[in-house]
Amino acid sequence: MTFRERLIGTLRQLQPVLEEPGVLVVGSEVPNLLQQDAASTLVVSQDVGLAVPVDRVEAVKKRLGQVQGLIPSHEEPSVYVPTVPGLIEANFLGLDPRIRDASETYVLEDPDLPLMVFGPLGLLRPGPVLELEGLRVPLPRAGDLIAEKLLTDRTDEKGARDLLVVAGMLIAATPADLDELIHVAAGLSAESRHASCSALTVLSLMEGRAGMPDPAPVREMVTHLLSRMEAMQ
Amino acid sequence: MSDAPLLDRMRKRACIVRTRAAIRRWKYRQRDHAAGVWFRIRRVLADAKEAYVISIGDAKRLLTEGYKEEACGAQVEPQKTIIFVDPMRLAHLQSRRRIPVRLGPDFLLAAAVALVPFDSRRPSRLP
Repeated sequence: MTFRERLIGTLRQLQPVLEEPGVLVVGSEVPNLLQQDAASTLVVSQDVGLAVPVDRVEAVKKRLGQVQGLIPSHEEPSVYVPTVPGLIEANFLGLDPRIRDASETYVLEDPDLPLMVFGPLGLLRPGPVLELEGLRVPLPRAGDLIAEKLLTDRTDEKGARDLLVVAGMLIAATPADLDELIHVAAGLSAESRHASCSALTVLSLMEGRAGMPDPAPVREMVTHLLSRMEAMQ
Repeated sequence: MSDAPLLDRMRKRACIVRTRAAIRRWKYRQRDHAAGVWFRIRRVLADAKEAYVISIGDAKRLLTEGYKEEACGAQVEPQKTIIFVDPMRLAHLQSRRRIPVRLGPDFLLAAAVALVPFDSRRPSRLP
């Protein structure tokens, strides 16, 4: 069973939650969803990330009651783990549109679904709903997701993989997506914009990794993005 | 939920994220000083389509011809000469040896590096 089959099978189980307005699939598997042909080369993580607007937590909790095949982990109730083979973990995160900086990250202390509310997730706005094998998968706007991934802390292996997700997103990006990324960057603080530029330079110099998006084809696009972002300084 | 240790773990995780954000802010304030040199070098390399180790002699020749030395090369020890060169001129440098465009051993050990820009409009010569 391929990762993509497990991913889609998991999203099928989560469909009741995905129907809640504002809930978004935000994890590193978004490029995988966007690029059907790249399924075998875009296995970036083994879970699926779902962002829940902080004002929708109660509604999402009700919808979770309809989900089968996944239950909350004892150690981490915001992570739902499979009870049947062929599924992957679902990782619930809080999305607070009032914040956008990592320094504003907090815990939403809900008794049933406590959520990590990472500041940069606040950049994400609902984008296209992907119709996929009978599923409706709500995605963030591409420019928002790229901006969010560029601001993700990169102190560990996960951070490096997040940058390769950016490579995957850039491969699939349209000129309008890139314009949107620049527009989002224009709204960031100078410090966050610098962090985004720094992340882009790291991405530009990264080696490709087996099973992950190759950064080499997006290097030229990166240099143009850097120029556009620097023009805002 | 009665699992207080769980919430404690999540609070600690959020605290770690906020602390890293504070460190990033500090690094941002330091960006024009020594702590920012690796960003500046990455930034220059990001504009490079190709990179070549060249001899000191060829590097000096390029500088004499008016090619511009990137300031960040002189900000690391040992210092290195980094010069953007157009492909036509590069083709005449006998010492050139292509290396990967990244902060790997080939780049770090080189005394002089010629870079071919993605954008031919990037200024490589002094006005």
